[in-house]
Amino acid sequence: MFRQKRSAEDFAEEIKAHLELEADELRGEGLGVDQAQWMARREFGNVRAAQERFYLKGRWVALDKLMRDLRFGLRSLKQSPGFAATAILTLALGIGANTAVFSVMNAVLLKSLPVGDPNRLVYLRTSNPPRGAGTIDSNETFSYPVYDALRQQGRGLAPVMAYVPLSGSKVAVRYGAQPEEAEGDMVSGTFFTGLGVNLPLGRGFSDADETNHAPLAVLSYNYWTRRFARAPAVLGKTLYVSGVPMTIVGVAAEGFEGVEGGGSTDFWIPLQNRRELNAWGNPTEDGKLYIADSTWWCLRLIGRLAPGVSREQALAQLQPVFQTAAYVGLGGSPMEGEKRPVLSLADAKNFPGSYNTDYGRTLRMLMAMVGLVLLIALANVAMLLMARNAARQREFSVRQALGAGRGELLRQLLTESLILVTAGGALAWGFAQMATRLLGRWAQIETSLAPDRTVLLFTLGVLAFAGLLFGLAPLRVALAGRAELALKTSAATSNMDAGKSRTGRIIVALQMALCVVLLVGGGLLVRTLRNLENTPLGMNVDGLVVFGVKPNIPSLAEGRAFYVNLIGKLRELPGVESVTVMVERPGSWWSDNSDMQVDGKLPDVANGAARTVRSNVVGPDVFRTLGVPVLAGRDFADSDTATSPHVGIINEEFARRFLPGLNPLGHTIGTDDGRWSMTIVGMVKNHKYRSIDEEPIPMAWYEYAQIPIVGAMNVEIRVHGDPLAILPAARKVVQQLDPNLPLIRPMTQREQFDTTIAHQVLFARLAGFFGFLAVLLVATGLYGTLAYRVSLRTAEIGVRMAVGARRGQVVWMILKDGLVLTVAGVCLGVPLAMLVGRALSSSLYGVRALDGMSYALAVAGLAVVALVASAVPAGRAASVDPMRALRTE
Amino acid sequence: MATQENNDDRIALLQGTLDLLILKTLLLGPCHGQGVARMIQRQSEDVFLVDHGSLYVALQRLEDRKWIRAKWGVSENNRKARFYSLTPKGREQLAEKTGEWTRLTRAMGLILDASGGLGEEA
Repeated sequence: MFRQKRSAEDFAEEIKAHLELEADELRGEGLGVDQAQWMARREFGNVRAAQERFYLKGRWVALDKLMRDLRFGLRSLKQSPGFAATAILTLALGIGANTAVFSVMNAVLLKSLPVGDPNRLVYLRTSNPPRGAGTIDSNETFSYPVYDALRQQGRGLAPVMAYVPLSGSKVAVRYGAQPEEAEGDMVSGTFFTGLGVNLPLGRGFSDADETNHAPLAVLSYNYWTRRFARAPAVLGKTLYVSGVPMTIVGVAAEGFEGVEGGGSTDFWIPLQNRRELNAWGNPTEDGKLYIADSTWWCLRLIGRLAPGVSREQALAQLQPVFQTAAYVGLGGSPMEGEKRPVLSLADAKNFPGSYNTDYGRTLRMLMAMVGLVLLIALANVAMLLMARNAARQREFSVRQALGAGRGELLRQLLTESLILVTAGGALAWGFAQMATRLLGRWAQIETSLAPDRTVLLFTLGVLAFAGLLFGLAPLRVALAGRAELALKTSAATSNMDAGKSRTGRIIVALQMALCVVLLVGGGLLVRTLRNLENTPLGMNVDGLVVFGVKPNIPSLAEGRAFYVNLIGKLRELPGVESVTVMVERPGSWWSDNSDMQVDGKLPDVANGAARTVRSNVVGPDVFRTLGVPVLAGRDFADSDTATSPHVGIINEEFARRFLPGLNPLGHTIGTDDGRWSMTIVGMVKNHKYRSIDEEPIPMAWYEYAQIPIVGAMNVEIRVHGDPLAILPAARKVVQQLDPNLPLIRPMTQREQFDTTIAHQVLFARLAGFFGFLAVLLVATGLYGTLAYRVSLRTAEIGVRMAVGARRGQVVWMILKDGLVLTVAGVCLGVPLAMLVGRALSSSLYGVRALDGMSYALAVAGLAVVALVASAVPAGRAASVDPMRALRTE
Repeated sequence: MATQENNDDRIALLQGTLDLLILKTLLLGPCHGQGVARMIQRQSEDVFLVDHGSLYVALQRLEDRKWIRAKWGVSENNRKARFYSLTPKGREQLAEKTGEWTRLTRAMGLILDASGGLGEEA
């Protein structure tokens, strides 16, 4: 630790030596022993003053003082450990929750893309695709000819970069012997240079790599760390992507995980031109890949504004090029009455819009909730401090009377608050780390959530504010006790101050109002959660497991043979009840939507209602495997093959909407262009398909062996016992057929459905948790305030009881105090809660924003808390012994 | 009360001059605090009043600045005492401060003598 260079003892020793030397000399001049000593001392003057000056000159006096203050503060906090623990925990919870939510918000909403000069980057968007084009996203994806034309233009945006996933989920990769899955994108040659992403290891791609479709790969830093333990030796090694060998040439900068928010790309390869690596992992359509198929709008585009060009200028230059290129392969011009699509440029500085709306609203609401919790927590601690310091008024008065300056008192109060805030802050930081990790896992946010400088600054800012607040708020109370108050000994007179306690009451009432708001919000969301979790799916998901396979399919016949083979082998595994395959797995948010012909024509629908039908391509035994009841007709069977009559199955909703009052069996349905038709052989019960919170919609199923296209599929297996236990055996079967194939996203069907409500579940759980936290905080605050008020009124209660008040009357007097506050809080809180409920209404499922039950429960909950928090002090008040209370006077 | 009433003609030291006097005294050789005080008093023909408390604080200040260093030793009459001596840095400071002081006194002299018309300078 810090030491003074020279001890005060040493200095005292020197002065003693001086006095002796001086006395010696004076004796030499003829003085007597006593007189010499007296003269020496007289000559020196004030020895103590010299020592004091030496001490004050010491370099660490300021620090010394601080240490003394700290020691004093710790000592005085130690005298009331309950208060200290409550204050620190309250702070830790309030600040920790804010830090955690802010971390996520920072990572998801505020952090810029980890690229060079992100302000000049723009996402390309279109108002709509041209008629006749198929899209991935009707506003965000473009065809290859559009990309090609825009990049050739090269003036407004330089460069225009395309990126497209190799699969809607993950793609099969192999490094060494074991097949795995990873997220990969195909990108332009200008991708890394254009975005300004550094490559700490190796190199990125060049234009030539794109032109030649070079078999190269760049790994993300995260993937490199996770999978390759940051071995520099990966450069030059081969990574098989869907069985195609790619040479690893580089590793991208840390933190760069693609330009789409939320997802995390593991590797990038240049735009390829081969069947195994079609965009989105789709099978080729009429033998055409994404590059040749101008009707498939599947590429995402991002561009960098050319130097000196504004966004408006760039758009003006690109618009005509875009509107021409949009009709390449679509007849060259819009159909009659069709509006040309309009290009627009969207800010790419932060994560893209879709992400913003998904998580953004939820996160902002959570942030508001934890903000309220923080307010309650801060108010609580401030009130605890005020109460505590008011009780110490006598102490302050005495200290002032003994000569302590106001500055000294202020320093002491600030030191105490510093100790509380430091301890609370340290605890909060640890708590936030944990909470952030949990939040990230629950919300399935794959980007890095590690707190950065912004988060640290945010937390420090909150802490500094808290520190000042806690230091200054009680000062008023402390200074109000003037020195002469120390002379008054009556507890009743020195501690009574009506104005001060009124502030406390107002704060408690406000806290209760906020608590009502949080409880109502939490209640609405928890009821939403219960509704979602208890929604019948219309199928039996117990014992059902699903995984994806993406085999290499050179021809239609071989593809069909692969699946027939796979189904057959899986059926033979012990414990398997039934097996089927399907293109879209239920509960994955994906669906294939189109209009369908019924009996040779598009069905008539009343007043413009939607004609949309969801369809899926499935294998034999599909409804038996899923546990969906077949209401009429039959399930698909092994006997439905490419050569047998084309058959289809519909759901109840389809029949109700398009074949009302008819027996659907035997009718024909087909694609909207009439090129494909099939006979309805079965009708199944409505069940959930895309997600849990959807309404029934018409559906139709095709048999995979009967349609002219076959690609990646999901395998559903119904087993006896634990569904996940079948996976190792299934993996072995798949790899016997093709050693390159991993099982893609294997999970139980239940888990798959749960992902569709993961957001709401997370939101509801957090909201419930924060509501609970708020109640807890309000309870401690109320208890603290009431207990404090009772302690102030001990003498008064003593007098009342001495003159004949009964126990019950005293208890009621104290309880009434708490109840009045509760009523005030509720009156204020309910209208506020109604506003919040309206803001929440789009996040609710199966419950109205003005749900009486939630309000009643919130109010009842608050009342119970208030009652319990008041009962203890009331009990204590009633057990006051009048004689003792009076004797303290 | 008894004060130093018999020393009326002594002058309290000017701010900052004590340091210079200490350094000058130590130029003659290592010395303890009491010796320094005596020496200053004697050499100023008892004009300067050295406040002993201030002296020791000043010594400490000079030591902190590393202009002088100190060592416990034994005085000529066998008393334990803390002996101070100049450091090279202290010598430099002495030269510098002496120069400053002469300039100051000369300037003061010029102003104070101007009215007397004693202008020997060209």
